[in-house]
Amino acid sequence: MNNIFKFSFGILTTLAFAWLAFVVGANLQYGDLSPEAENLEDDDSREPDAELFPKDMPGLAKQGAEEYLALGCVSCHTQQVRLFTTKDSEGKSIVEGGMDVERGWGKRASMARDYVLQDHVMLGNTRIGPDLANFGMTEKDNDWLHRHLFEPQSLVPDSICPPSPFLYEVSDDPRDGSIAIPSHEDHGDERQKSRYVVPSIRANRIVAYLKALKQDYELPELPFVQAKEEKSDTNATETKGIPDWIRYPVPSSALEDLSSQMSAGKEVYTKIGPGGGGCVTCHQPTGLGLPIAFPPLAGSDWVKGDKERLIKISLFGLTGEIEVNGVKFNGAMPAPGIPLGSLTDQQIADVLTFVRNSWGNSASAVSPSEVSEVRASIKDRAPTQMWTAAELTSHSKPAQ
Amino acid sequence: MKDTAEQVIDRSAKTVVSFFVASAGLWLLAAALLAYVAAAKLTDPFFLSSCEFLTYGKVKVAQANAFVYGWGGNSIFAATLWILARLSQVEVRGRVMLLFSGVLWNLAISFGLLGILDGHMNAHEMLEMPTVVWPVLFISYAIIAFLALVIHRSRKHNDTIAPQWFILASLIWFPALFLIAWNGLEINPARGTLPSVLSLWFGQSLIWLWLTPMALGAAYYIIPTILGRAIDKYYLAIFGFWCIAALAPWSVVHHLEGGPVPMWIPAIGTVMSIAMIFPIAVASTNFHATAFKDIDKVWNNLPLRFVIFGTISYTLSSYIGVIFSLPDVAKLTQFSIINEFHFNQRVYGFFSMIIFGVVYHMLPHITGKEISKGAKSFHFWTSAFGVLILLLAYLIGGLTHGVLAQQPSLDWSSSVISSVQPYFKITKYAFIILGFSQLVFVINVWKVIFPNPFACCLASSSERKGKTA
Ligand code: HEC
Ligand code: HEC
Repeated sequence: MNNIFKFSFGILTTLAFAWLAFVVGANLQYGDLSPEAENLEDDDSREPDAELFPKDMPGLAKQGAEEYLALGCVSCHTQQVRLFTTKDSEGKSIVEGGMDVERGWGKRASMARDYVLQDHVMLGNTRIGPDLANFGMTEKDNDWLHRHLFEPQSLVPDSICPPSPFLYEVSDDPRDGSIAIPSHEDHGDERQKSRYVVPSIRANRIVAYLKALKQDYELPELPFVQAKEEKSDTNATETKGIPDWIRYPVPSSALEDLSSQMSAGKEVYTKIGPGGGGCVTCHQPTGLGLPIAFPPLAGSDWVKGDKERLIKISLFGLTGEIEVNGVKFNGAMPAPGIPLGSLTDQQIADVLTFVRNSWGNSASAVSPSEVSEVRASIKDRAPTQMWTAAELTSHSKPAQ
Repeated sequence: MKDTAEQVIDRSAKTVVSFFVASAGLWLLAAALLAYVAAAKLTDPFFLSSCEFLTYGKVKVAQANAFVYGWGGNSIFAATLWILARLSQVEVRGRVMLLFSGVLWNLAISFGLLGILDGHMNAHEMLEMPTVVWPVLFISYAIIAFLALVIHRSRKHNDTIAPQWFILASLIWFPALFLIAWNGLEINPARGTLPSVLSLWFGQSLIWLWLTPMALGAAYYIIPTILGRAIDKYYLAIFGFWCIAALAPWSVVHHLEGGPVPMWIPAIGTVMSIAMIFPIAVASTNFHATAFKDIDKVWNNLPLRFVIFGTISYTLSSYIGVIFSLPDVAKLTQFSIINEFHFNQRVYGFFSMIIFGVVYHMLPHITGKEISKGAKSFHFWTSAFGVLILLLAYLIGGLTHGVLAQQPSLDWSSSVISSVQPYFKITKYAFIILGFSQLVFVINVWKVIFPNPFACCLASSSERKGKTA
């Protein structure tokens, strides 16, 4: 210890071992990974003309990675779907979906091979925002992304994702290539009126990058997680990976009801044709509707407020002038369902629970019995007789 | 009257150490300000949202860098030089070079942080400052470290003791870590997730092998010096030292649990993290067995109170850290704000608190001026209170965040993050308290280093007044 050279030698040797393992060893083990086919033959060879994955990102997306890096998005967003393994009854370890997959953040865990073509790998270590490793697989379109990048709060009211208005040119009137930002009430006057933004090239790069983030192929080392197995056993998957001694104190049956109502509701919302509600055609996957024609459901007091009013709309439709989120609309919504007004109590309860708890809405669930009560109270109404907003407001209870 | 040997040494160290302490103080304030801005942005995303250079991601990273390299780096230089000089009983030499390198170091960090805010961030943990500033940082560090080693080499007594081991190790480990990371990330960059493993390893090792040994070394020096008694069970210290040297470089990678890297990497990390309870136990026995023999004195001596707060926080939080590296728990909390808990407890609750103690002990010796007890005490209580609140908020908030995030049916923004929101609010207030506390520290320190900063201006202005009158 007294000779500084021997001392340095000692403390550097301990460091060198770690270096040998994490740098040299790891590099030898998987430094030469390259794109591979989705499936290999038994003898580990691949078919001659098989498509190789991962694919390289388009140039614009690569530039987007630099912008994403420079803005420090990685301090809140990870890009890694974790691998969870458990032991089966024979003690063999098996791969399971785990909560990352169940949250819809990917179809399988991320593998080292997924990243070999990226110039900047930004795995991240904190999830204040959702994981983005597979963001490109969500159905969110470019306009949604630009709106979100410009001001996340216009889509997700209580979001803390930082707005990046400096990437856009803002104006009060629509212009060529401009995107409408939905108005919302909180945070000052400016945001109460509709705004239109034109994305800069940097914004376009970031959007291209986010769209390019997807691990939507299988790899020889890891196929997709089978969704069916998970479903049969919702209760167990709900808390998988969480030690028994620490659980979120929500009765699991309540959670199960809510999540099954949510997924059934999403089905009704998006299914077009007999048996579905087809709400998506007018109110859009984003719940934002379309300017002038269809009012938004996201953030709407009609959705989040009084249930009776909402159930009535879903039973018979709505027409005439209506103000939603401070904007006036005047259109007609026929009673949902094909044939008209054919949704069952259960379906209406599901879809309303879904719209009340999506796109940042958060309100109590609607139960089938509540729907049948309302249905009974207005059973004399003709199925084609749509409500008007005025009619509903006059005899509705104050919003809950 | 002839000066004692100590006084001669202190005088030789005066300019250099004062420079480093004074600049460390400024960085501390800069980091406090940035920490507040970042915390405020988490509670209100529209706070300063139109300034591109103050967007959350940049501020957050700039804050960590200002804290570790600005405050940490400068205060490490100050404490290293003074403690080594005192222990070797030789004067600090090469003062001009030291000052020059110090200025270079601070300039490089300033440019680095501006670079981050201007959008030239690197993707590597704790190496986020733009590539160009690193050679400068490295050279200025090398000069300072070399001159510190010269002091050590010319020591009067050949035998070395625990504070010297820890401080020298910290001095040597940093450049070694840096070279390894630099080689693997910039000179021979690998593909895929390999750089991520390396940068995570570097970022975490920096705290374990640079800040931690420095603070431990300082504690090994300050506690016996002030108490005037030997370290209890001193023979354990060498075991503790080599345990840290052997285990810490391995233990940090448990953060990759479940990630897209070979499974042995996080597995080794977990095993080694658990083994870390040995060195933690050793340090804790050494410090606390000694300190608790004379607890009155610890309580009444403010520098020592700071140091003991730091060592207790080291022990407790390191054990908590071990718990959070167990795979079952790690799966829960791995990506939650518990990471902020680990970072802040290490660089604030432990490292900074000990350094505060060192500075308060060192400055009166060097400058011959006392710092008022009330001001130190105010600094202690606000810091202790602020840190405690901050860490509790991150700990409980982190658990909430982690547990809720594992419930796939809960909506991310409206259920998970909004449940963590109250804790973000608390941390914001904690950072305000800490900011005040640090301001008091900096004023305390600057007052003794520059007793009359306005003397010359006052003199000249009164002169002018005299003329006009
Ligand atoms: C303060 C932490 C934070 C930072 C920094 C941050 N985000 Fe977010 N992000 C969030 C949160 C919280 C959400 C969830 C709420 C929402 O959808 O807005 C989110 C959501 C998102 C989503 C939608 C994800 C989904 O699945 O719906 C995208 C896309 C996104 N962020 C992109 C970015 C980009 C690009 C950046 C860098 C400019 C960034 N984020 C920086 C916190 C952050
Ligand atoms: C044919 C297009 C169309 C379909 C399909 C449709 N809506 Fe509507 N919806 C509208 C229009 C148009 C209005 C505004 C009516 C008005 O102006 O009075 C509206 C209004 C609403 C409102 C009240 C205003 C608001 O935005 O909060 C709710 C709630 C609503 N719809 C729910 C649904 C649900 C649930 C479904 C699916 C079961 C659905 N809509 C299907 C066109 C549609």
